Amino acid sequence: MRVTDRMMFDTATLNAAKSRDRAQAAMEEVTTGMRVQHPGDDPAVAAAMVRGRQVVDRMDAINQNAGRAGDEVDAADQALQSLATVLSRARELAVQLGNDTYSASDRAGGAAEIDALVRQSVTLMNREVNGRFIFGGDQDRTPPFDIAGNYTGDTAVRQVEVAPGVLEDASVRADIAIKGVGGGVDLFATLQALSTALTTNNGNGIRGALTDIDSATTQVTSTLAKVGSMGDAFATAQTLATTTRDATVKTVATQAEADIFAASSKLALANHALDATLTAAAQSFRFSLMDKL
Amino acid sequence: MPDLISILSQASGSLAAHRESAAVASQNIANVNTPGYSRQTANLEALTPAELVANGFLGRGVGVQSITQARDSFLERQVPHALSSKGWSSTESDALSAVSALDPEAAGGLGSALSAFYSSLRAVSQNPADPALRRAAVSATQTLTRSFNRTSMAIEDARSGLDDKINGVVDEVNTAATNMASLNAQIRTARAGGAEPNDLLDARRRLQDKLTELTGAVPVSNKQGDVSMALPGGTALVSDDRAAQLQTIPDSSNRGHLTLRMTRADGSGPVSLPTSAAGGVLGGSLSARDGTMGAASAALDTLAFDLATSANAVHGAGFAQDGTTGHAMFSVGATSASAASLIDIDPALLANPALLAAASSAAGLPGNNQNILALIATERTALAGGFDPATSFTNIVSSFGASSQRARAMADQDGAMMDHLTQLRESVSGVSLDEEMVKLTAAQRAFEAMSKVITTADSMLDTLMSLK
Repeated sequence: MRVTDRMMFDTATLNAAKSRDRAQAAMEEVTTGMRVQHPGDDPAVAAAMVRGRQVVDRMDAINQNAGRAGDEVDAADQALQSLATVLSRARELAVQLGNDTYSASDRAGGAAEIDALVRQSVTLMNREVNGRFIFGGDQDRTPPFDIAGNYTGDTAVRQVEVAPGVLEDASVRADIAIKGVGGGVDLFATLQALSTALTTNNGNGIRGALTDIDSATTQVTSTLAKVGSMGDAFATAQTLATTTRDATVKTVATQAEADIFAASSKLALANHALDATLTAAAQSFRFSLMDKL
Repeated sequence: MPDLISILSQASGSLAAHRESAAVASQNIANVNTPGYSRQTANLEALTPAELVANGFLGRGVGVQSITQARDSFLERQVPHALSSKGWSSTESDALSAVSALDPEAAGGLGSALSAFYSSLRAVSQNPADPALRRAAVSATQTLTRSFNRTSMAIEDARSGLDDKINGVVDEVNTAATNMASLNAQIRTARAGGAEPNDLLDARRRLQDKLTELTGAVPVSNKQGDVSMALPGGTALVSDDRAAQLQTIPDSSNRGHLTLRMTRADGSGPVSLPTSAAGGVLGGSLSARDGTMGAASAALDTLAFDLATSANAVHGAGFAQDGTTGHAMFSVGATSASAASLIDIDPALLANPALLAAASSAAGLPGNNQNILALIATERTALAGGFDPATSFTNIVSSFGASSQRARAMADQDGAMMDHLTQLRESVSGVSLDEEMVKLTAAQRAFEAMSKVITTADSMLDTLMSLK
């Protein structure tokens, strides 16, 4: 092949440009740590990166929401546990003071304690978490129980997303659990009836309250079990969201991030190639007939 | 019988021939770096014998029979297609690579904004009456619309940038076409004088290459030696000594982007020029602008419109904190045209986050979250295009990426092909300084020898003249 002077210059220019381009690409990979910067670098991986980011954000949001719901459920659990303790104490008093050996004065003292337990129960059922009254259903900005134990909340059960498209109950119906709507007993009415029986020194009335206290305790215990399962569901949701998030991050990283050792080797190779190109070009420019004539 | 005067005459003519050889070598050396220059060769030829002397004919010295260019028509025929392909693919590749709005890691990109929008709704679903969460959701909604606006604007800016490029290319094409038509006329005139106008031929070939690279036009020669240029599809850009002229006008059906028109070489028109009639840089610019970028822009518009319509339908069915219903979440036009540019958060919602319709009934206020859950469900609901919003956006990114990758691969391939052909053409037509130095030295030696002949003949003449 006939080689002209311009061919030598063009070849040197072209090859140096190619080598610099490769070195630049390798440099970018090393400095950013990413193999894919532009959709055209690898369309499938670019799409996976976009999709992966959305999955990560979604799982973070679900994790956060499940965590908040879990906090509310924990608070409900604590409140119901305390309420069960209240009922237990009320039952103790009913059993103890139902014995006719106790005087009216003793029973009046018991009534005062029961009244205190009623007020404590109202406080427990008006539990507020992050500005929400968790036993009020959708009416969550005002206390659901008044001092007399009347329920002002509604029948709604809050639902929270625990996985994309999967909803989980995050609250209990206080009208059923506490007020006995649908065939149960009214916890407050039961305690107030006991208080009245104690105040009026009515032994039969005191003993008769035991049945309703047991029913109320069963209601609360049953609700506690439900709340416990909700807590488990939210804990599981958080674990799954974290696992899915981490797996997605790992998958995307595997595809999109640069292998730093391979990228560094590529950079070194590109730099060597550039050096060799420039050296060869300089050598080829050295010889000319003009220097010999 | 030759006399001494005829020897002097013959030597003088030969001296001129070698001087011309040296001049041709000098011209080659001077143009060693000139793009498109084809090396020239002075073809020496012994002059036809004219005088019979004794038993033979005496020659009359040497003359330059012709000055020819070194060209390989086999290679020349391959160049236009390669040049056109390279012009197209490198322009398209460069244009698509410059768009960063759809980069997967783009800060504040649409993908992130879409995720943040739904994340903010999820946060509201946990506590719908919380004003801080509502404000955050409204802010995320506004960010989403701004992200649509920015992404669409970035793509449209890139398309407008290509319009500027097209305008510049059209100016270059018109100038080159006019000059080439003029050169056709000059070459025809020069050839009538009997000699090849090599430098004019080089100039015409440079314009020919330029027009091919810019428009994909191919050269068509006629018997008179004129070279016309035909655009893809056959429309004449240069017809002998006349040139067509391209113009650009805004196309209202394509968001005001430029479309091509042409005043034909015969002066008729102007007529609309279909996109298929443009190749090279012009075709690559149009392909990037209306093909890949146009498709991405239209897909963004569709996504913005469908998402806004879907969300508005759900949001409108819900109830705001004040018990009112029927509120829109987004404002968007009646059709998907330019929807990504026009989409905005509903102004009333922006002014009052309490209008975020989280509840599915007035009775459920203030804590009901069923409508927010329905809004969150739109994240997984197929839009009119058949895919959910996130998948729709992912499809836009992957489609754009696939086109960008294909354009880059084509540009690499076409570039390598053109580089190879350029090297081969340079190998045939390019100037070698070593060769030219040898030729120059050979001409110099011959010139010196002929000078010696003249000196000798002169001396002989002196001798003769001094005889008494």
